[in-house]
Amino acid sequence: MAGISKHILLVDDNPLFLKLLARAFEKAGFKCHTVNSGSEALQYLKTNAPDAILSDYEMPEMNGLEFRRNVLTKDRLKDIPFMFLTGFDDEKVRYSGLDLQAIDYVIKDTPAEVIIAKVNNLLHAVNKQRELSEIEIRQTVAALNIKAVPEKVPIIAGLTIDFWHQDYQQIPGGDFIDFIEADDRYLFIVLGDIMGKKWKAWFYTFTYLSYIRAAVRFSVSDTDNSTASILQKINKVIYHDEGLRDILSSVSLIRVDKQNGQLNYAGAGDLPLLHYHTATQQLTPVDSSGLLLGLLPDGNYTEQTINLNKGDELFIFTDGLIDFAFGDGKKSDYQAFAVKLQQHIADKQSFTKLKDKLQQQSAQLVDDSSIICIQKNNLTHDQH
Amino acid sequence: MININKEEAGYLLVNVNLTEANLSHSDQFKNEVIALLNEKQRSIWLNMEQVNYVDSSFLGALVAALKHAISLKRDVVLINLQKDIDDMLKLIRLDKVFKIYSTEQDAQQATI
Repeated sequence: MAGISKHILLVDDNPLFLKLLARAFEKAGFKCHTVNSGSEALQYLKTNAPDAILSDYEMPEMNGLEFRRNVLTKDRLKDIPFMFLTGFDDEKVRYSGLDLQAIDYVIKDTPAEVIIAKVNNLLHAVNKQRELSEIEIRQTVAALNIKAVPEKVPIIAGLTIDFWHQDYQQIPGGDFIDFIEADDRYLFIVLGDIMGKKWKAWFYTFTYLSYIRAAVRFSVSDTDNSTASILQKINKVIYHDEGLRDILSSVSLIRVDKQNGQLNYAGAGDLPLLHYHTATQQLTPVDSSGLLLGLLPDGNYTEQTINLNKGDELFIFTDGLIDFAFGDGKKSDYQAFAVKLQQHIADKQSFTKLKDKLQQQSAQLVDDSSIICIQKNNLTHDQH
Repeated sequence: MININKEEAGYLLVNVNLTEANLSHSDQFKNEVIALLNEKQRSIWLNMEQVNYVDSSFLGALVAALKHAISLKRDVVLINLQKDIDDMLKLIRLDKVFKIYSTEQDAQQATI
């Protein structure tokens, strides 16, 4: 299979057979983990999720069927392609295996190359099915015309607003962006991140966006323009919404006064924003106090004014940008991102260039990622 | 994924046996911690020593476990956090919700 090598778990009580089979798989480009019993396999599966499992049928203590039954009780593991290795061509085994959603079975005498080819075909079929399901969902989403990220940026005198967003592995996730023109005077900028990944998180972005849009509009029509009080209203509703139990989200909420370009901000469990000061050529964090939406009945939200001087830039972003692939694992490093951003600005590079750079590096991202930039133009408000 | 290291009168010390705690573990982790809270009716101190990275799905699972503990008038305490994760929790203010200690002894002195 092309791309990243596939990870296979081989389970058999015969160490010699296991060794030979593992060697053949590794030669074919697979990563193998071998264990001698069903219980060892279950122990390994507690912290690992291979791409496929090949298990002997006849083993002492826990036989292959019991092992398979056990795997099927675990949501995290039950959909991993599973193949039985049997010592003989027994129809009964074949039927009981099929009953347990074993996708295939192979007689052990089969040459290793044939077993490998079967596993390759199996993984290919599973992948194809997954792709088709995703295409189907994508087409449905496109037909419904619902988006968690706007297509256009708002145009405001004196400020330049722009953003970049990238889904993780091309599947929509939990990040959402909105620009809400509440009335003639105020524009609200929203950047949120539902905790979780891919479709499950994406699904909830619309519930959150609906609450946020409603709260902003109700508040502004009641002449309550405070970002902190809007966040508290949203928090209260989400906290009590049974449908959103355990679905938490961070949100950065910024109110832009279109008359004078003033920014007011409150945050809910979001990463500190970064403010680039042209005068000192330094990036400084803008911390907020609020908790993730839906966490506690009182989220402790406070509003602050952010004063942008001419040429200053304000960056609002989600955690996908601070997560990096690191050796064999991953790490979160806010500071490293801030240093990179500072360097980018010091090199007199624009936000458009930053977007290009992020786009080029997007294959290395480990989560969906979004960044919004608000720049105070060098022209004064009146001149613009 | 988790195992009880020690059962004390006031808490269970539980090891989290993951290096990269992500989406693929979050549901199971949440269910296991909630089941332990229900069964033992004691606060859970999670020893996070082995964990190098947590993604937002796993953070969500931690918070869900904490909310469940609070509803039982118990707690989920984090100990032995690696620096990157400790920094991350502080950045998003989760240090205001979780009790976080460097060692089990520190946690004992502060809470018992």
